[in-house]
Amino acid sequence: MKLSRVLVVVGLLLVSMLAPTVKAQSDTLIIASGTDIENTNIHLVTSSPSFSVLEHIYETLFSMTPEGELEPLLAESIEATADNVYVIKLKEGIRFTDGTPFNAEAVKANLDYMLDPENGSAFRFLLVVGGEPAQVEVLDEFTIQITTKFPFAPLPAHLAHGAYAMVSPAALAQGRDFLASNAVGTGPFVLSEWKRDEEVILTRNDDYWGEKPALETVIFKVVKESGARLVEIQSGTVDVAVRVPPADIPMLEADPNIEIMITPGLRTIYIFFNVTEEPFTDVRVRQAVNYAVDVQAIVDNLFEGAALVSRAPFAPTIFGYAEQEPYARDLERARALLAEAGIAEGTTVTLYHPTGRYIQDALVADAVRAQLREVGLNVELQTLEWPQYVPQVRRPKPENDIQFAMLGWGVPTMDADYALFALFHSSEFPPGFNGAFYSNPEVDALLEKGRSTLDPEERRAAYAEAIRIIWEDAPWLFLYSEIQVTAVRKNVEGFIVHPDESLIATFASKR
Amino acid sequence: MTKFILRRLLLAIPTLLGVSFLVFASIRLVPGGPAVALAGELATPQMIEQLNRELGLDQPLLIQYVNYLGRMLRFDLGRSIRSGLPVVEEIQTRLPRTLLLAVVSLAVSSVLGITIGVTAATRPNSLFDGGSMIFALLGVSMPIFWSGLMLMIFFAVLLPQWLTSIGFPTGPILPPTGSGTWQHLVMPVTALAANSMAIQARMTRATMLEVLRQDYIRTARAKGQKERIVIYVHALRNAMLPIVTIIGLQFGTLLGGAVLTETVFSWPGIGRLLVDTISFRDYPVIQGTVLTISIGFVLTNLAVDVLYAYLDPRIKYS
Amino acid sequence: MTASIPTGLAAPHNRFKLPTSIRRLIRNPLAMVGLFIVLTFIFVGLFAEQISPHDYDLSNLSMARKGPSATHLLGNDEIGRDMLSRLFHGARISLTLSIISVGIGLVTGVLMGVAAGYFGGVVDLIIMGIIDIMLAFPSILLAIVFVAFLGSSLQNAMIAIGVLSIPVYTRLVRSSTLSIKEELFVEAARALGASHLTIVLRHILPNVFAPIIVQSTLQMAVAIQAAAALGFLGLGAPPDVPEWGNMLQKGRNFIFSAPHIVLYPGLATMLVVFGFSLLGDGLRDALDPRLNR
Repeated sequence: MKLSRVLVVVGLLLVSMLAPTVKAQSDTLIIASGTDIENTNIHLVTSSPSFSVLEHIYETLFSMTPEGELEPLLAESIEATADNVYVIKLKEGIRFTDGTPFNAEAVKANLDYMLDPENGSAFRFLLVVGGEPAQVEVLDEFTIQITTKFPFAPLPAHLAHGAYAMVSPAALAQGRDFLASNAVGTGPFVLSEWKRDEEVILTRNDDYWGEKPALETVIFKVVKESGARLVEIQSGTVDVAVRVPPADIPMLEADPNIEIMITPGLRTIYIFFNVTEEPFTDVRVRQAVNYAVDVQAIVDNLFEGAALVSRAPFAPTIFGYAEQEPYARDLERARALLAEAGIAEGTTVTLYHPTGRYIQDALVADAVRAQLREVGLNVELQTLEWPQYVPQVRRPKPENDIQFAMLGWGVPTMDADYALFALFHSSEFPPGFNGAFYSNPEVDALLEKGRSTLDPEERRAAYAEAIRIIWEDAPWLFLYSEIQVTAVRKNVEGFIVHPDESLIATFASKR
Repeated sequence: MTKFILRRLLLAIPTLLGVSFLVFASIRLVPGGPAVALAGELATPQMIEQLNRELGLDQPLLIQYVNYLGRMLRFDLGRSIRSGLPVVEEIQTRLPRTLLLAVVSLAVSSVLGITIGVTAATRPNSLFDGGSMIFALLGVSMPIFWSGLMLMIFFAVLLPQWLTSIGFPTGPILPPTGSGTWQHLVMPVTALAANSMAIQARMTRATMLEVLRQDYIRTARAKGQKERIVIYVHALRNAMLPIVTIIGLQFGTLLGGAVLTETVFSWPGIGRLLVDTISFRDYPVIQGTVLTISIGFVLTNLAVDVLYAYLDPRIKYS
Repeated sequence: MTASIPTGLAAPHNRFKLPTSIRRLIRNPLAMVGLFIVLTFIFVGLFAEQISPHDYDLSNLSMARKGPSATHLLGNDEIGRDMLSRLFHGARISLTLSIISVGIGLVTGVLMGVAAGYFGGVVDLIIMGIIDIMLAFPSILLAIVFVAFLGSSLQNAMIAIGVLSIPVYTRLVRSSTLSIKEELFVEAARALGASHLTIVLRHILPNVFAPIIVQSTLQMAVAIQAAAALGFLGLGAPPDVPEWGNMLQKGRNFIFSAPHIVLYPGLATMLVVFGFSLLGDGLRDALDPRLNR
């Protein structure tokens, strides 16, 4: 008996000696991310994990700090020479890692690439104003001019979007097939190796024009299963683990080697009511549902507090935010409103929802169903696989008979225009994004004003009024904004989780 | 026999065409196209139209299929919509990993599974028999995402902690996820083998029990042959047909990738590629992957059929 | 061809055999344990409404993921519903799911397998071609096709899972048939002028019983797990349905924080499969043609 135990220990020790040094080295940071990048063409990718990785290699003209401030990055300055003409000065003396100089021609090549509909970038619309793509002209080697159809205040914010990062024109000329697995930028890191579905390895760009990173290597390791990411971070085989399931926060907080980073996100989760379909044509029914669902309890109990109850149709860090009084749970009032609207006890309504797209989406749909049962609404859940879900909830009118459905909307530009116009303006009915078919001339006018006015205070006022009306009309069941929960080993310093879901390792170091 | 093999190989052509057409048609007929899967909420009607034009999806289905066959004859499987990389390359990076996992886990599980099954059959209703049954039930009933995580916690967190506490400081005994070294293989193989072993052991036990009742076994025993020889040579060979069938099917299935295992252990194999690309509606990769998998199935099933004739010489294929 | 033919034809023969088989089954203690387990689950499924301690559909968010307690013997699920009551209600759904999907695979698979093995030649080649196609067709895609054309529901998931298991049965039955049809007693029967149908029913089928029983009992667990996998991709039951596989799948996110959510449906699945395995083994022994001689 004793001997066998000794043998077991010896055996295990042998195995452990044979085991590779899985402990990370001090100049290497390993990030357990949930998804692999789609490819390395920053102009064409759409997922935040891709941007996270590629923005270490590629840089944009402007960048949005985690606090929401806009800063020049490859640009030096921006100036409006007329209402709709913007002149951008570029930083000088920067080279792409293939030796190509960074200059106005390079910027034009990239912007033209983005604006060419043939290239099919999902973010082309960011530089399309009033239906017309922006005009890009080279003024001199380091000056570029952008002309839009109308005055367009969010221009620099839109240029800060990762899709508008600068790719070496030489690489760009080699075409899409080359760009899919090669990356040549100006950033602090270069692409060393991409093992598909496994990891992306970045190494420091020793010729970087800015302050060089302390880390030699950054590895984005694909660990799909959330439970596996937790094991990895607890065993120290990775330094950072993204998308920690909310329920596991207490367990990781108890681990002395791990710190939990809480970062409010820019994505708001909501359930829209189709205001053209019974029973949600009646504002009282929509309000009743808002009163019946206890969002605070969902956030407290299902998210362990790692979500933010909505007090506006978008997250607080976004420009134009105006806080409203939340529909706190009031079952009496909900029942009364339903009775007033003539909704019989036991009326059946169908809620569409995705699964695995947003944090705990199906779970929340289930909780909403359970809570509406308490006011006599019988909710049938329709779970759909994502590629079938989107066309289903965004079908144009006669075919669209969705009653209510769950969606999320991220606002990478951190501006109310992006957050409201597409979702509530009556010109955006499906196949646009206004799935609620919400139409209120007052709101339309306010949103148009917010878009064409340059004065920030006037814009703020217009948005505040629009939000107030939307809140009253309740075309949505207002839910919550997501919060990103990231686990970081305590010996890591300076790791940044951006509200736009980027992970920034550039300024990180390890003790 | 050679004629049979040739005929089956010839028959493989319509089979492969059948699979490829069915897959080709069904992915195009189900709702949700690549543009939606790529850009999600952001997909606009213009983008969808544009992508459809680029991929030739606006043409009639049959014409698309004929074009596809034409390209396939030139060994051009196209490029992934999502990654922009050649489909051949996408498959090449995953196939060896999948093969490795399939071969090793099936080798482990069949040796153990058959041994357990034979032993259980020779002592029916014994403690060993009962134990092996419980073990098998655990093997099929435990979801891999559960058993996989338990293995991970044990080897990467608990065991190192315990070893450290008794004075042997160590890092993780086995790396929790990934696929670089042989250590990475241990846990996924264990999880997969536990699952496939279950049915192999039960199947072996059941068919062995049948065979052991047959007259010729009694005769062999009566002739005074060694029990071990009676069981492993005479009986097992005759009980092998269903077992070989099951192992063949398991191998085929594993060639298609053990999606859950690959997901839990971040093993970059064919299964994950297929599931990911199906949910991205990445048509060219789906088609290429399914083609690869079907070739695997055709060959495996053929090999199994040949094996039947070897195990039971009376079987002749006309 | 319908499934009713076998029973109809085999009836005169069975009228003599059945009582002995039943007596043999009753005398087998393990089979009786199995029968007891299976009947218990059927009882639970039928009377879930009456025996559940709580409303299975009533959620209390403040009780979300709470472990076992005096009022909630098996704890609460991820949105605070009573686990025990949900397991009871799930018994009916999961038993139906596994029996229907096993039934689909079994009936179709056996018919195809016997035909392929017994007749051989062209029939065999064609059936094996179809089977190869079915095997290679990705199961997730099949489920997507089902959902797309028939709608997303548990019922369609059951059918899809059943269809997916057809090839296993076909190949199993075919392999045994190939070998058995060469046996002396089959040739004797043929020489005596027995029809194909008689040979298949009386000589081939009883002899492929063993592998089929094993496959079918274990397939029940596989079916429940397949339901879980489909639910994970949004192709199975919606999250409020207390089907065991569905419960397993949702518990996946709470393995660390609330392990009981995965544990109990897992144990229930195992117990049911255990019961069916014991019963199946007993049935096979009871119906063994050789023990009759």
